[in-house]
Amino acid sequence: MSGKKVSVWTSITFWRRSAAWVTGTATVLLMWLTFNTMGQIAMGSDEDLQNGVTKRIPAPTVINYKIDYKMDEKRGHEVPVIGEKQPFFGKEWSAEEAAELLRHGKLTQQAKNCMNCHTLLGNGAYYAPDLTKAWLDPKWNDGTMTGITGKDTVEEAMAEFLMHPSQYPTHERMMPDLGITREEAVALVAFLKHMSAIDTNGFPRNFSQSAKRLEGGTHAR
Amino acid sequence: MLASIKSNEFKYESQKLAMNYFRVAIVLFGAQLLMGLIAAIQFLYPSFLFEVFDFNVARMVHINALVVWMLYAMIGSVYMLLPDETGIEAVGIKLGKLAFWVLTAAVAVVVLVYIFVQVGPGNEATIWLINEGREYIEAPRWADIGIVVVVLVFYYNVFATYTKGNRTGIMTVLVADLFALAGLYLCGMFFTDNISMDQYWWWWVIHLWVEATWEVFVGSLAAYGLIKILGAKREIVEMWLWIEVLMLFGSGILGLGHHYFWIGTPEYWWEIGALFSALEPVPLVAMFVHVLYDWGKEQGHAEAGQQGHAVNNTPAMAWIAINAFGNFLGAGIWGFFHTLPQVNIYTHGTQFTAAHGHLAFFGAYATILIGMMYLGVQGAYGIKKMTMTFKTKMAIGLIVFGVLGMTVSLTVAGYEQVLVERADLGGGWDAYFIAQELPWYLQAQGWRLTMGLVTFTGFLFLVADLLTIGKTEAAKEEEVQAAAA
Amino acid sequence: MFEACTDLACDNIFALLNQGPLTLTIFLHTVIIIPMFFIYFQEKKRLQEGKEEPQGEW
Repeated sequence: MSGKKVSVWTSITFWRRSAAWVTGTATVLLMWLTFNTMGQIAMGSDEDLQNGVTKRIPAPTVINYKIDYKMDEKRGHEVPVIGEKQPFFGKEWSAEEAAELLRHGKLTQQAKNCMNCHTLLGNGAYYAPDLTKAWLDPKWNDGTMTGITGKDTVEEAMAEFLMHPSQYPTHERMMPDLGITREEAVALVAFLKHMSAIDTNGFPRNFSQSAKRLEGGTHAR
Repeated sequence: MLASIKSNEFKYESQKLAMNYFRVAIVLFGAQLLMGLIAAIQFLYPSFLFEVFDFNVARMVHINALVVWMLYAMIGSVYMLLPDETGIEAVGIKLGKLAFWVLTAAVAVVVLVYIFVQVGPGNEATIWLINEGREYIEAPRWADIGIVVVVLVFYYNVFATYTKGNRTGIMTVLVADLFALAGLYLCGMFFTDNISMDQYWWWWVIHLWVEATWEVFVGSLAAYGLIKILGAKREIVEMWLWIEVLMLFGSGILGLGHHYFWIGTPEYWWEIGALFSALEPVPLVAMFVHVLYDWGKEQGHAEAGQQGHAVNNTPAMAWIAINAFGNFLGAGIWGFFHTLPQVNIYTHGTQFTAAHGHLAFFGAYATILIGMMYLGVQGAYGIKKMTMTFKTKMAIGLIVFGVLGMTVSLTVAGYEQVLVERADLGGGWDAYFIAQELPWYLQAQGWRLTMGLVTFTGFLFLVADLLTIGKTEAAKEEEVQAAAA
Repeated sequence: MFEACTDLACDNIFALLNQGPLTLTIFLHTVIIIPMFFIYFQEKKRLQEGKEEPQGEW
């Protein structure tokens, strides 16, 4: 009876077995992809930094280096560029100290609920600026915020701002005082500096051009 | 709905328990809307409650109340359909009732801590006791563990009842889906100092919930609802359900890749995320076609043969039809708008996401869960045929109009942000605030607040209707019967 | 049409399959969909032979 007309498309068994196959395969593929990605987004080591090996997520000691954000012709978008050594809060941090600082910074970021106003790597709330590349923001590097807070370095200015945000308003919408201590503020700045060195595949796009564009290339003001 | 505590016609304890879940869900729904209004006001008047009840607190409670009320209504829906599908009482109903009170007490404590303690010092104790600071799953670790225990009790009830009673196709899908849904929560319960790793696993919970397991859950509810409300043929409904499972999981699981474009993850996620998630709207079209097809067909049967109307619960049917459309529009269309990496590099982290979030959560989940509540009220009063009241229509009209209005406003705000802040100025502090202070953006935020108020008014009608429709409709039915006798 | 891998790490299977626009994702889609043909014909055969739906197995 091989020529008998049957309707496979209305067979529950056909759809059930197909659903099980597709779900199972997609799950297995996702797990495989996850293993691969885990290897690529594990934090690099201090040796990687010393030897100039680029990792997607660099070691915490990246806070001891100058970080830049530049167009990469091969990649086709901007990437973080780790440069020469640069003191962070006036000193060079050992691997252990830097790891401890980053951990404290990440804990503080969660404890102070930063993500429910700001976006980090573009995820979070949309009430305050994205923090992905905050460390590199022209606002901190062109003298504006160092001037307002009366500090000499970006890290000192950021720490001062985080401790007393509503004392340094730049807009009607302000950051509230979250009771951030000096130690927490230093750790948060380390967290932000580390995050700016993460390779985000070019997000936010054209960030390295933002100072130039703000200078007068736009009528948005 | 409240009066049904005293008088109810349910045969099964499981369904009485379901009503308790619905009651808490609707209270949390109200809390969600109030918090949303506070946050919307703060966008326009930043000094409103500044350093008293800041945006981060309002926003945290807004999205947490959302997730929790939906989980409550989902658990309630399962307890509601469990005896109908399996033909028996939930196996561990006593344990189930205890779990309800434990969960409700825990939720109350968590919300009070959110509101009155708000934030803590940057150490482990805050993560354990106050909040975890991770969007949508902020619940402190102690509550995480409590939730896992309660969910285990719930899952035991579903699984044991399933193995003991009738094993329908709907129940088979639910049992498998709930297992994945509960298991995924574990991916959000650890701390790492690596923000990319953190967000990688965080998306396993968020995405694989709302774009995979929750969607399949909604498919099962719609299947149950169609059989219950229209008397749709089980074979056809269950065939559609398996097709939906196939397409939802087939596109949704690897569609997860669209969250891995910019968080430090490799470039190969661009195209995986792009094409798989671009297919995510397909099952939503299928669900829409399925619901309307069955509705029309059963309606036709009823008109040709037996007397009267095929729909025995018009408010529930209306919400399920809105779900079919809202799911496609909010999750499908609004999601597809910005799912391709070429677009997403500019839209990621703007109000565009918020626009999508509002319409998708409402269209895909709120609607059908409200429909399930109406089914609950019908069962509690033993009403054979429940029809819409004036309040039902006001609730539907105002809520749908309000949410659509908020979505369109936020979409306009998002476009403005994308073009000015991102494409023109390249992002950053100044770029952000320039875009936030342009009239286009402010007008959009003004309309969002207005439409939020419209939605809230609709919510008040919804609550009033759920509280009274059972009594009104039951009385009406008795009158008709008395007149006939 | 085919472009060399531009990613940071190119020495893994997924980067290898990613040889330009959509090659990786089309490959993954194919892996998922092809076996459905097998399921289809197996099911067709079963229906033509008029066998009962198998209980408790896929």
